[in-house]
Amino acid sequence: MGVIIEGKGLTKSFGGLTAVKKVDFHLNKGEIVGLIGPNGAGKTTLFNLMSGVYHPEEGTLSFNGMEITSLKSFEICRLGIARTFQIVRPFLKMSCLENVLIGIIGRGDPREGIKAKGEEARKLLKFVSLEGHEKNSANNLTLIEKKRLEMARALATQPRLLLLDEVLAGLNPSEILQALELIEVIRTQLKMTIFWIEHVMGAIMKASDRIIVLDQGEKIKEGRPEEVVNDSKVIEAYLGESDA
Amino acid sequence: MGNKKLWISFAFIILALFPPLFLSQYWLHVMIISLFYVMMASSWNLIAGFTGQVSFAHAAFSGMGAYTSGMLTVYLGLPPWLGILIGTGVAALLGFGLGYLCIRMGGIYLSLTTLGFSEILRIIITNEDQWTRGTMGLQVPGFFVEYSKTSYYYLFLIVTILLLIVIYKIIHSEMGLTFRAVLNDEVAASSSGINTVRVRVLAFAISSAMSGLAGGFYGHYLMLITPDVPSLGQMFLVLAMAVIGGMGSFAGPIVGSFVLEILSEYIRVYGEYHVLLFGLIALAMARFAPEGVVGILRKKWRREWA
Repeated sequence: MGVIIEGKGLTKSFGGLTAVKKVDFHLNKGEIVGLIGPNGAGKTTLFNLMSGVYHPEEGTLSFNGMEITSLKSFEICRLGIARTFQIVRPFLKMSCLENVLIGIIGRGDPREGIKAKGEEARKLLKFVSLEGHEKNSANNLTLIEKKRLEMARALATQPRLLLLDEVLAGLNPSEILQALELIEVIRTQLKMTIFWIEHVMGAIMKASDRIIVLDQGEKIKEGRPEEVVNDSKVIEAYLGESDA
Repeated sequence: MGNKKLWISFAFIILALFPPLFLSQYWLHVMIISLFYVMMASSWNLIAGFTGQVSFAHAAFSGMGAYTSGMLTVYLGLPPWLGILIGTGVAALLGFGLGYLCIRMGGIYLSLTTLGFSEILRIIITNEDQWTRGTMGLQVPGFFVEYSKTSYYYLFLIVTILLLIVIYKIIHSEMGLTFRAVLNDEVAASSSGINTVRVRVLAFAISSAMSGLAGGFYGHYLMLITPDVPSLGQMFLVLAMAVIGGMGSFAGPIVGSFVLEILSEYIRVYGEYHVLLFGLIALAMARFAPEGVVGILRKKWRREWA
């Protein structure tokens, strides 16, 4: 197995607010790990630290044994960490094919020809069930289609670790099932490690090997899904203190 | 390039060979100036329309090209083509520097910084008159031994076509794709492995070099270079041409340049109000039809043919 990413004592604050406070965590190769916590717990900030959008004030991050704490987003991406965004961010004024092509170009490998890249982009669109939308502008897609497109763009960078930020939010039950299927395929067929923020509890509990819980920037619990749901601290964080 | 587009471009180039046969000297001059503006607006469109960096220093870079080449030919006796080459290089270097300075800025901050740069350059050129001859203007040699508007027309036509081919290639290459990704969403582009700093600075340098080139040819055509070349009035005219024609499209700035230059010849009899008028039209266009004249026509044709 082995550790793929490890964070030690990560801290990031905005003004007076400490969004992430001395967080230690690690992911093993091939795992699906869920990251949960109430709103404002610092989940997305942690993702932003891992993908180089922000840099931590304290602590270190290492990926496959290599220090990545102060690397830029594109450098981290090229090492093998890709992400999707909580509020989807496809390139709206570009076609679906062009969106995925950016991920392929982002690998920074000049040896591949443009034709091979186009072919690969088509395959990826098919993989996320967006075939037929190649020339369609990303702006014209529905929410779930935009999320799938973002997923295809992330996959195009050939990551070894995929960060998914609330991919299920805003989807209806049948769309959730489709998305879960896709994630399962990504994990089994592409053998990727997945770190996953989600508020849809049933789904994330079922799919994850391990759950990490954040509350007010601190890690309050880590463990197997069934351990986490019954933990008093976690329940407190979500529901408030109990009188009993 | 699609076959249809290729034939249309070809037809335009063939048509463009004829004007000297029937146009008066005056209208030939208008055509040459229009070609200069095509180069300016199209290269400005490359940074503003494709990477979203609305630079106000584009006219300044053309002035840089014009003055560098002008002074090299006057004081060192270099041939104009060598002067223009060096002027283009100087504009590219300065563009690289200014682009690098602006990487942490977006939107209005970048525009203001480039505006400041542009004014500083104009003031330096105006005041250092022992070299630039200030507002009196620097007299520079022309390209041809025997002055002929027809020769200049063909020279400008060839240079413009070559420049447009380069721009077309860039837009439709992987580089062009990364330009648009940066325009759409810098954070998402960076998270997809695109070195956004490199893309932005590269676009700035390329576009500035092109404007330096255009300015160089412009100077050796006018044979008198004044601080009007790198002025803000010139800048806003170029901006209006790109915006009214259609920013972010290849054909937009080309159409905009010809239409506005020809139009301003008609308006000129009422005084120098054309920049003001074009500015107002550009404002209205940016608000109500951001894809410009070309965008409107394209939509209309698509609807009628679909």
